[in-house]
Amino acid sequence: MLGWFTRYFTGTDSIAVPPTPSRKRIAPGPGESYDVSRRPPPFGHPLKHYFALDDKYVNLNHGSYGSIPLPVIYAANQLAYEIDANPDVFNRVAYKPRLAKSREAVAKLIGADTGEVVLVPNATHALNTILRNFEWREGDLIIGATTTYGAVSNTIRYLTDRSEQPRPKMLTIVYNFPLTHAEVLELFRAKIREAKQQYADTQFTDVPPLSEGYDRDPAEKKNKIVAVIDSITSNPGVLLPWKDMCSIAREEGVWTVIDAAHSIGQEQHINLSDTKPDFWLSNCHKWLFAKRGCAVLYVPKRNQYIIKSSLPTSHQYVSPNSPKYKELGTNFVMQHEWTGTTDETPYITVPTAIAFREWLGGEQAIYDYCHKLAMDGARRLAEIMGTKLLDESGVLVATMSNVYLPLPVEKAPGEIYSPEVLANISMFMMNKLLFEYNTYAGHFFHNGAWMCRCSAQVFNDMSDFEYVGKVFNTICEEVKDTILSNMHGKQLGHLRPSSPDEEDWVIVTY
Amino acid sequence: MPIPKLSPAPGESYDASQKPPSFGHPLKQYFALDDDYVNLNHGSYGSLPLPVLYAVNKWNYEIERNPDLFHRLTYRPLLVKAREAVAKLIGANTDEVVLVPNATHALNVVLRNFEWREGDIIIGASTTYGAVANTIRYLADRSEQPRPIMLEVEYNFPLTHAQIIDLFRSKIREAKQQYPNTQFTDVPPLSVGSELNDEQKKNKIVVVIDAITANPGALMPWQEMCKIAREEGVWTVIDAAHSIGQEPNINLDKARPDFWLSNCHKWCYAKRGCAVLYVPKRNQYMIKSSIPTPHAYVSPSSPAFKETGTNFVAQHEWTGTMDQTPFITVPDAIAFREWLGGESAIYDYCHQLALNGGKKLAEVMGTKVLDEDGALTVTMVCPHDSKGPASLSLIVLVTQPNVQLPLPVEKTRGEVYTTQQLNQINEFLRDKLLKDWKTYAAHYWHNGAWWVRCSAQVFNELSDFEYLGKALNAVCKEVEDTILKKNA
Repeated sequence: MLGWFTRYFTGTDSIAVPPTPSRKRIAPGPGESYDVSRRPPPFGHPLKHYFALDDKYVNLNHGSYGSIPLPVIYAANQLAYEIDANPDVFNRVAYKPRLAKSREAVAKLIGADTGEVVLVPNATHALNTILRNFEWREGDLIIGATTTYGAVSNTIRYLTDRSEQPRPKMLTIVYNFPLTHAEVLELFRAKIREAKQQYADTQFTDVPPLSEGYDRDPAEKKNKIVAVIDSITSNPGVLLPWKDMCSIAREEGVWTVIDAAHSIGQEQHINLSDTKPDFWLSNCHKWLFAKRGCAVLYVPKRNQYIIKSSLPTSHQYVSPNSPKYKELGTNFVMQHEWTGTTDETPYITVPTAIAFREWLGGEQAIYDYCHKLAMDGARRLAEIMGTKLLDESGVLVATMSNVYLPLPVEKAPGEIYSPEVLANISMFMMNKLLFEYNTYAGHFFHNGAWMCRCSAQVFNDMSDFEYVGKVFNTICEEVKDTILSNMHGKQLGHLRPSSPDEEDWVIVTY
Repeated sequence: MPIPKLSPAPGESYDASQKPPSFGHPLKQYFALDDDYVNLNHGSYGSLPLPVLYAVNKWNYEIERNPDLFHRLTYRPLLVKAREAVAKLIGANTDEVVLVPNATHALNVVLRNFEWREGDIIIGASTTYGAVANTIRYLADRSEQPRPIMLEVEYNFPLTHAQIIDLFRSKIREAKQQYPNTQFTDVPPLSVGSELNDEQKKNKIVVVIDAITANPGALMPWQEMCKIAREEGVWTVIDAAHSIGQEPNINLDKARPDFWLSNCHKWCYAKRGCAVLYVPKRNQYMIKSSIPTPHAYVSPSSPAFKETGTNFVAQHEWTGTMDQTPFITVPDAIAFREWLGGESAIYDYCHQLALNGGKKLAEVMGTKVLDEDGALTVTMVCPHDSKGPASLSLIVLVTQPNVQLPLPVEKTRGEVYTTQQLNQINEFLRDKLLKDWKTYAAHYWHNGAWWVRCSAQVFNELSDFEYLGKALNAVCKEVEDTILKKNA
């Protein structure tokens, strides 16, 4: 029978139902609204007024989880009342046009077409959507890096872990910072060439649409190479020459998946129509001030045929065998309109976040302030701790900077620090920072040395960096006096790491 | 800025030591629904009680005081509490239960973790939820091997439980006959033959069974179907999206499905999106990765694997940054239900209202209830069945009556309605009900006729069904006067 019909959503909003006023509305509290016609307070501590962070908490780690401005929290909370005043009206009718508005606003920021942009819960989800949609063949290669985000490299690993064919292989580029952009490009290009040489018998003829050889007969397309490239790595937090890497990959016939989790709202001059990556994704709930979880997945029209299904699969999935496929193709945008019941407030309030940023002065003004603070703050930090910046030039710095901590550096792995000791130090630092000193900055071990990663946000100023510098000095002294002077690596702290594999836990601070 | 000092508005808190108001309209004060909106469609998206909405909003502020502290430390024990509370409701071990955003997500975690081989079969049904059927279809649509085959059991209601079981068992046997050259030796752990070693395990059959279908909303004899599947060596994935908080006496330890999932944000009053995925310990080796893959993924080739296995629970603790408030406020939802009287009391009220409301609706519209079988009474599948314990005679309504609409019925497809008209009618009904009449129940086309599925909730009363009947009468007349007039 017409089973299909009973489950087909007709998605047009043929009625305009005004949002019924909820009887539970609350007026905005301090910091939750602002007069658009008035100038905002200056960047720095005066802007703390608009964030919910505890006044005394020195947050230099915006990069991990974002800090949601009060106007956005307020909007999301009010929206929750509106949605539940009539869930059917909202979910069946009101939602879709508002989602479209959010997608439009985001697309504008990244130089993309609205029809190439969908929203998903977070960057890891976006990355999984892409990598799990490729139909992997035995012989395919996925290239990651040692600096790839843990969950992303695990996704690659999971795909290669299939217990029987077909499954891709995983290759990893080793990036040991400090590196210049030129060095990064060299390593990247070398890895691709090495891969092709290592698997000389494999025909990597399944190339992306903009590469030479794309128009060959599908039957001749054998294997593919897919590269996952960070635009901004996590640990250390550095800006990579990803646009050039896209060009190189294109020349080499390699698919590019840009993990730009940190980029939107932090990286300048994003223009995806120009750069033409094959896939690009970013967390709006990091630097764009959106509510968690909201991320953008960009798939240019030429590649939408590859994304056969959203994750999870939705009502709007179109089977290649169905007559609708000729007209709709993979129905990329529609599939992502609804992937199961969820809380839509993070998606719907993206325009609120962007409007707030506009009021603060707009993307460029925010970038200018935060970039300068990231550099100046890092220099001050290095001064206080008697160390140095990972990148003096500022080329690798958007609005996060990395500074070496005053702890011993090892030349060979294991020379000073065992994996257990590394885990202990990380946990020790986390507890001290949060509970004793009421502050936080990312800290991690990379290429033999301990570093901190500070996020410069509109509510930070130099005094925050000065404070964190003094705090790290104290903590590092304690580390030297305790953990490092007792090389048996006694377990310190009373909280367990977030994953059973301590090595992973140490390297991955979000 | 210090976070606002929120204080609960009316309806957003309650005195746990005082008795609650009685079931029915007096309880509307505790829900965020507009006063004048007659909601008979709780089943689709849930209706959030104000105390839970308030708890969520409070957390939204609290988390932002120190996001690192919350996400790195505070969050986990709260998640464990939520999982414990849910596990208790379904007769499962806490370590067999994880939370995910919604039922479709849970279903995708299960089906996408199977390593599909050419020759495998996935059996769904004509009543399978759209996104679930599409997930199966997507897996079968892989453009080259290996990929499973998709089969469907056809359920055209009204059906008795005995008939459903027959159709189900027949389909499995038909599948095995249809593919006699395939060795379906990859059977679930509790089936005969599971002790074969890996090389001997060739192909598998996986069946997705609804505990309660969506359209129509009918309780299926899923425990019995599990048993049959087990006998036949077939893996069972129970899509119980509607079950938790609606279906009484869920005991997964007893029923032993291979996988089970349900939306807490439907009948259990949790905030969207929160669903439970149950995977018994014997099957956790199958769930190699959460979706998306997390930090806590353990590769089978890593030394840690010996100790952690697939690390099912830990993987699902963190699958990317998201809003955890739906998960951590599950105990708030369950506590509210406890205060209302607990699961049994809620069920009794809603079930009775479903029966009476269905009858009333049919009366007002001059039609009938779906599970009418000469008699409108429905009975539980239990020893009190008037036709005897062995008969499994009638579908149990649970709390969602399905009533036919006063629109023409067709005996063959296309006799009365074109496909375009079916679409138009659906949209017309939706718009008119929501906008003109400020009410809603899920309307759908099934087996030649139009039906409406109502959800009986603690804030509903009989008068709601009467009102809906009036509205539907008017709207259906309009349908006949406009959309169907073109047939003349």
